[in-house]
Amino acid sequence: MTASLLDTSAATWRDDPEPEDVVDPRLRVPYDAPPRERLAAWRRRHRLRREQADEVYAASRHPARGWPVAGDREVLRFARTLIAERKRAFVALVALNALAAATALVVPRLLGDLVDLTVESDGAGAGRIGLLVVGVVVLQALFTFLAQRTSTLFGQDLLASAREYVVHTVLRLPLSRVEGASTGDLVTRVTRDVGTMSRAVQFGLPMAIISLLTVALSVVAMLLNSVLLAVPSLLVIGTSYVAVRRYLRAAPRGYITEGATYSRINTTLTETVEGARTVEALGLAGRRVRQGDDDIEVSAQAERYTMSLRNLLFAVIDVAFNTPRVVTLAVGAWGYAYGYLSLGQITTAVLYVEALAGPLDRLIGELDRLQVGATSTARLLGIAEVPPDRTPLDVRPDGPRLVGKDLRFAYREDHDVLHGVDLELATGERLAIVGPSGSGKSTLGRLLSGINRPRTGSATVGGVALVDLPLEVLRTEVALVTQEHHVFIGTVRDNIVLAREDSPDEAVWSALAAVGSRDWVERLPRGLDTRIGSGQQSLTPAQAQQIALARLIIADPHTLVLDEATSLIDPRTARSLEGSMNALLGGRTVVAIAHRLHTAHDADRIAVVVDGRIVELGSHEELVDRPDGEYAALWRAWTS
Amino acid sequence: MRDFPPLVSTFWSPYGEPVAKAPDTRSPVRFLWWVLRQQGGVVVVATLFGVLWQLPLVVGPWIFGRAIDTGVVGQDPAAVAVGAGVLLAVTLVGAVFGILLHTLVVRSWLISLYGTTKNVTRKAAQMGHVLPRRSPTGEILSVASSDSDEFGALTEIIARAGSQLLSFLAVAAIVLATSPRLGVVVLLAAPLLVGVALPFLRPLHRRQELERSRNSELTSMATDIVAGLRILRGIGGERTFGRNYAEQSQRSRAAGVSAGIWQAVIEALGVLFSGVFLVLLLWLGTRELLAGRLTVGELIAFLGYGLYLIGPIRTFFEFAQKLTRSLVSARKAIAIFSPDSPWQEPTAAAPLDATAPLTDDLTRLTLRPGQLTVVVSAVPEDSARLADRLGRYLPADTEPVSEEPELRLKGRAARRARSERARRRAEIAARDAERTRGPWGVRLGEVDLAAAAMADVRATILVSDTGSQLFAGTLQDAVDPHRRLTREQAEEALLAADAVDVYDALPGGWQGELDERGRGLSGGQRQRVVLARALAVDAPVLVLVEPTSAVDAHTEARIAERVSRARAGRTTVVCTVSPLWLHHADRVVLLDDDRVVADGRHDDLLAHDAAYRAVVTRTMQEEEVSR
Repeated sequence: MTASLLDTSAATWRDDPEPEDVVDPRLRVPYDAPPRERLAAWRRRHRLRREQADEVYAASRHPARGWPVAGDREVLRFARTLIAERKRAFVALVALNALAAATALVVPRLLGDLVDLTVESDGAGAGRIGLLVVGVVVLQALFTFLAQRTSTLFGQDLLASAREYVVHTVLRLPLSRVEGASTGDLVTRVTRDVGTMSRAVQFGLPMAIISLLTVALSVVAMLLNSVLLAVPSLLVIGTSYVAVRRYLRAAPRGYITEGATYSRINTTLTETVEGARTVEALGLAGRRVRQGDDDIEVSAQAERYTMSLRNLLFAVIDVAFNTPRVVTLAVGAWGYAYGYLSLGQITTAVLYVEALAGPLDRLIGELDRLQVGATSTARLLGIAEVPPDRTPLDVRPDGPRLVGKDLRFAYREDHDVLHGVDLELATGERLAIVGPSGSGKSTLGRLLSGINRPRTGSATVGGVALVDLPLEVLRTEVALVTQEHHVFIGTVRDNIVLAREDSPDEAVWSALAAVGSRDWVERLPRGLDTRIGSGQQSLTPAQAQQIALARLIIADPHTLVLDEATSLIDPRTARSLEGSMNALLGGRTVVAIAHRLHTAHDADRIAVVVDGRIVELGSHEELVDRPDGEYAALWRAWTS
Repeated sequence: MRDFPPLVSTFWSPYGEPVAKAPDTRSPVRFLWWVLRQQGGVVVVATLFGVLWQLPLVVGPWIFGRAIDTGVVGQDPAAVAVGAGVLLAVTLVGAVFGILLHTLVVRSWLISLYGTTKNVTRKAAQMGHVLPRRSPTGEILSVASSDSDEFGALTEIIARAGSQLLSFLAVAAIVLATSPRLGVVVLLAAPLLVGVALPFLRPLHRRQELERSRNSELTSMATDIVAGLRILRGIGGERTFGRNYAEQSQRSRAAGVSAGIWQAVIEALGVLFSGVFLVLLLWLGTRELLAGRLTVGELIAFLGYGLYLIGPIRTFFEFAQKLTRSLVSARKAIAIFSPDSPWQEPTAAAPLDATAPLTDDLTRLTLRPGQLTVVVSAVPEDSARLADRLGRYLPADTEPVSEEPELRLKGRAARRARSERARRRAEIAARDAERTRGPWGVRLGEVDLAAAAMADVRATILVSDTGSQLFAGTLQDAVDPHRRLTREQAEEALLAADAVDVYDALPGGWQGELDERGRGLSGGQRQRVVLARALAVDAPVLVLVEPTSAVDAHTEARIAERVSRARAGRTTVVCTVSPLWLHHADRVVLLDDDRVVADGRHDDLLAHDAAYRAVVTRTMQEEEVSR
């Protein structure tokens, strides 16, 4: 068996030592090469790093596995909808920021007037202008406050809606996908991507609007002051267009790559710290440290790429945004000599060009941030694109009889893991399913609890296909018991009423009493309102399991499917849960996917599943003495 | 000059270099000073470059003013040309140094950031399983990911504030030389403005802290929802937890709005103060101009300086803010970096003889060499504690002490809380030191484990407990993390642990990638890969705790049979209650209340020992219940 299963072993086993350097040698700096070669090497490095960033970006937009990612159009639509929902706040944001920017632009103008006044009329009226400036400054401060306040209110409101929407879509993910997929990708999305989106929505969007307004109004103010002085300066600033555009195209990918390297650093360190004991037991400390160092080397390369991109940008904009001062001087001198310009206009113009660099820089930075935010938003909106796995029909089951007919199912096309299973459950019976791993017994459990739709055949309760029932109804008919030890952050009540969220307190208390938890819950500082879950009032493993069992009592399904591998009844708590478990199982039909043969021993019937088929079905007594029987062989191994 | 990523050799040396002196953790200020010293001059050079970067702003207005006076007003085209030329040259110098400064600032930031992360990794390597006993995992990680960023930000603001201070002084000198009166005003007004605004920073800081803590609570709730998504979609509760999240989201929003509005107040005050400063400068300037003590060009230069000086003032604000945050971060870093490993290496390490019997003094259990012993206990925790003792591990019995500042506490109360935390931390450290001092109570032959070198203990006795973790990487790395097996050995280990299906399921065979902590695998698959790894190490003494709790009976039967065969002749301890293991055991030991109450072969004990039968059949009954 092994020979055929491991037939790729020789081909995929690597005996060669690991590469010494995680970084491509072409990315190292040739320190002793002549300048020309070093420049060529730098160009090569930059190109390599760009290719890397493009790859990371492409992978983040079209992931090979995991949840889908939305397109640009969806992101734009989402942003538009969010803004449209708060049109008034948006108008106020634009108006107030425009006012703040405009008052800021009045000051240089007044200063110019003051210069003219001082030079031409010996300062008569200077006091008036001085007072005017004070007035404008006070107004500017006031508008700044109001504009910032509106931006905050707008940004925070937008952000709250966006993240609540995301969690809402997570909570609507189809049951079959949730049961099948790993949740790691989702965790990254609701933490890191929500964080990136938050920064874009909360700061990026309002700041971009503000900077854009300031730049636009500054240009207008410059032109109003003097077209002659403004046009050459604006042209000089305009020369940076190509460099800025090139930067804005490349930079977001660079930042996304950088972000990915940091999350890799974090993942490695998290593993090292959480697995501290494993690391110590196996003597892996040195490897973990080297792994961390390697991650940092890779991250440093990503940092070098964005640093180069910024340097390339700065080389252009530092000159383009600062030379207008020189241009103003030259044009001003010429215009003044010919009487086209006053000293005041020159003063105003130079103050304007000095003040324009800031908002321009910020605008570029915010456009960057918005683009990075858009990528995260695309990943978040992708969650909403998972198609629903069922459309509930308006039917109700007629009775609790659970029947599976000709059940076939494939996770991959043409690879059926079940080959036509027929199974009929008697009400109140206990059926144990045993079989080797990979035989399809867990899949059978999923079909019988309505999580997946069979490829052919049907799993019905009271004559209605399980997957045609609305989830709220399905949950009160059949429940699959998995990972029950999770305690949510919330009150005790929140943790129990899951299946019937309107349950009165009496129902909660009686469910708690049934599983033997009433006493300790009553002793909690705030009873049912005590907050439990990670970071709150801590529970013992046994208490956590009792909570999980109480949930099922509230759900009150007539049939339970227990998967021993995933339900992870903790051996340490098993004894104290004896009574709680009996309270839950009493009077219900139970399908147990058994890993312990004693479970099978005490069941009414046992189904032995091998290679996607039920090969034996009967009571322990009927099966245990069958010569050549699968179950009989297993039982002998267990008891001998 | 130093470059990033920095070479770090504190706490642990993976490349054989000597271990460097540990960070200075005597106080937050000293710690920050230590962080800065690791920069090796980068910050100093960055500060100097910063001055040159600001050259256009510092001398630009003066040149411009001179050109206006002599060139424009004086109608001298040559003077205009010279002025413009010098201005252009200065602009170019500024641009060049801007790039150099940016390069150095990135460098200094990343030296601190990467350096801190590397230090945390090395601290984790040095402390091993003791570190999570002392500090919550989340805080260890946040020192590496977010506090490290605060230290980076500190180096940046120091360079920026430093260069702006120098520029500020240069401007003051120019202004003083041009007009002493105005110079004095500039010199006095700017610091005064910083001083006036300082009291407003503290409330902002508090509001930002609140916002941050609410946001992190919100993130925990989102993570919690995803972690329990199977339950939420399987059993229900979407409405309740969706609502809980929305409520917390609104609380976060409220905190964000409150911090944002306070920020708006400070921004507005900044506008007001710098505006007033400008007006003051202007008013005095025009008076000087009218009195003939100042030229038009000089006045224009003054206006330029007036606008420029707003920049440094804001930077000084920022400096104060970031320094405070760095001090908070330094406190958290100290909590991680200051504890020492409780283990004392013996002065003369005794060699361990793996073929000798292993004796636990507490239970008086002596494990015979070369045998497969299965330990059954009435209370499973007893077995876990025995495994900890056999491997020389401190049990996970502490509540790690958090260093997260409590927002509601201020002043004296905050200091009290801090010293209370320090006391609790010292208490745990003292308890650990107490336990690790003197004989350990487990002997291999005649040698107590405390008398042997720790590395020797780890190499001789391998304990694979229920918390054993897989790491991201290829399947080959998972089974053979040290890269010292032959392919045949690895295949054997995989086969013995019956984990061939994992190999089969991964595209790429041995090079198939496992996600972090083996996330993509089922519980049973993970457990079997962990087992394969433990077997592949081929340790002289192997202790397995509940190695097959998540696999089905068919598989468990195969594993028990193959493991007993693979470990034939070497000391193996399995803590379990499963009969499938019990009848492969050379010897079965029943523990009750840290005492050996039954000892022999499974069949004999089952037949003749009532206590044993009671425990084993009781376990059977439990399973019956848990179906």
